[in-house]
Amino acid sequence: MIDRERYAPGSAGGAQVRKDGEKWTLILVRELRHSPEKVWRALTDPAHLREWAPFDADGSLGTAGATVKLTTVAAPTPHITETKVTRADAPRVLEYGWGGKEMRWELEAVDGGTRLTLWHNIDRPFISMGAAGWHICFDVLDRLLGGNPIGRLVGAEAMKFDWQRLHAEYAKQFGQT
Amino acid sequence: MKIKVTSVYVDDQGKALRFYTEVLGFAKKADFSQGPFRWLTVASPEEPDGTELQLALNDNPAAKAYQQAMFQQGQRAAIFFTDDVKGDYERIKARGAEFTMPPTDVTGSTIATLNDTCGNIIQLTQLKRYSG
Repeated sequence: MIDRERYAPGSAGGAQVRKDGEKWTLILVRELRHSPEKVWRALTDPAHLREWAPFDADGSLGTAGATVKLTTVAAPTPHITETKVTRADAPRVLEYGWGGKEMRWELEAVDGGTRLTLWHNIDRPFISMGAAGWHICFDVLDRLLGGNPIGRLVGAEAMKFDWQRLHAEYAKQFGQT
Repeated sequence: MKIKVTSVYVDDQGKALRFYTEVLGFAKKADFSQGPFRWLTVASPEEPDGTELQLALNDNPAAKAYQQAMFQQGQRAAIFFTDDVKGDYERIKARGAEFTMPPTDVTGSTIATLNDTCGNIIQLTQLKRYSG
């Protein structure tokens, strides 16, 4: 776990906020040096999700119409929500909800890798928290895909890895300070 | 060890935050979210570092059944202490809250109960003070 101890997130970046009526959406873009097929597996397979995502899934998220229970990891009390996969066009577009909020993942093949975009419908007060949390999750995902997993960093665990600094940077970028 | 947080289940955290702050007069203390999980607490402005009340989203069927049964029986989910139950009754009532029992003398205290609109009966208690 030496690599985990050495991990420190970089600067806030690659995030935007969109407001549509009363609905707020956090949009995150991350370029990964791995194929869309490989990224798709990491986004849908419960065994892969367990290594980086802020939730556990009790089944694959890779089939449209599938009902999957998502357990928020490291919440102070067990928190389970049921979701339905509304779209799963492997390896390009994935859509499902998380606790009544919509998430859309888009995977675009770019020169030797994947441009991953996440649209996450999230309440306004929590947008910069979400951006900081996903930023760290994507760093962990990137290392997992590179064959060098450092283990999931979510909840209180993320706080030990500069989460507050990232959160403040995103809040500033979004004009929420 | 200290007793620092106690919880009530609420059916909607946004609505609960408005009721507990704007109607009851508490102040928001902590508000963190991780995905659908939201840790939300309020505290009394008279005691900002005192015990926090967590407004916990009730999405647990077992807890919902318990909460509904307790509500139907008129059993309270939490008790708050006050030095002026009649004053608080008038103030909270004026802000639109529905009291299920106006200030009533009971052994050792005067109590009132109200509907928090989020699934709970809340009791206000003023202890009787005996002089001499």
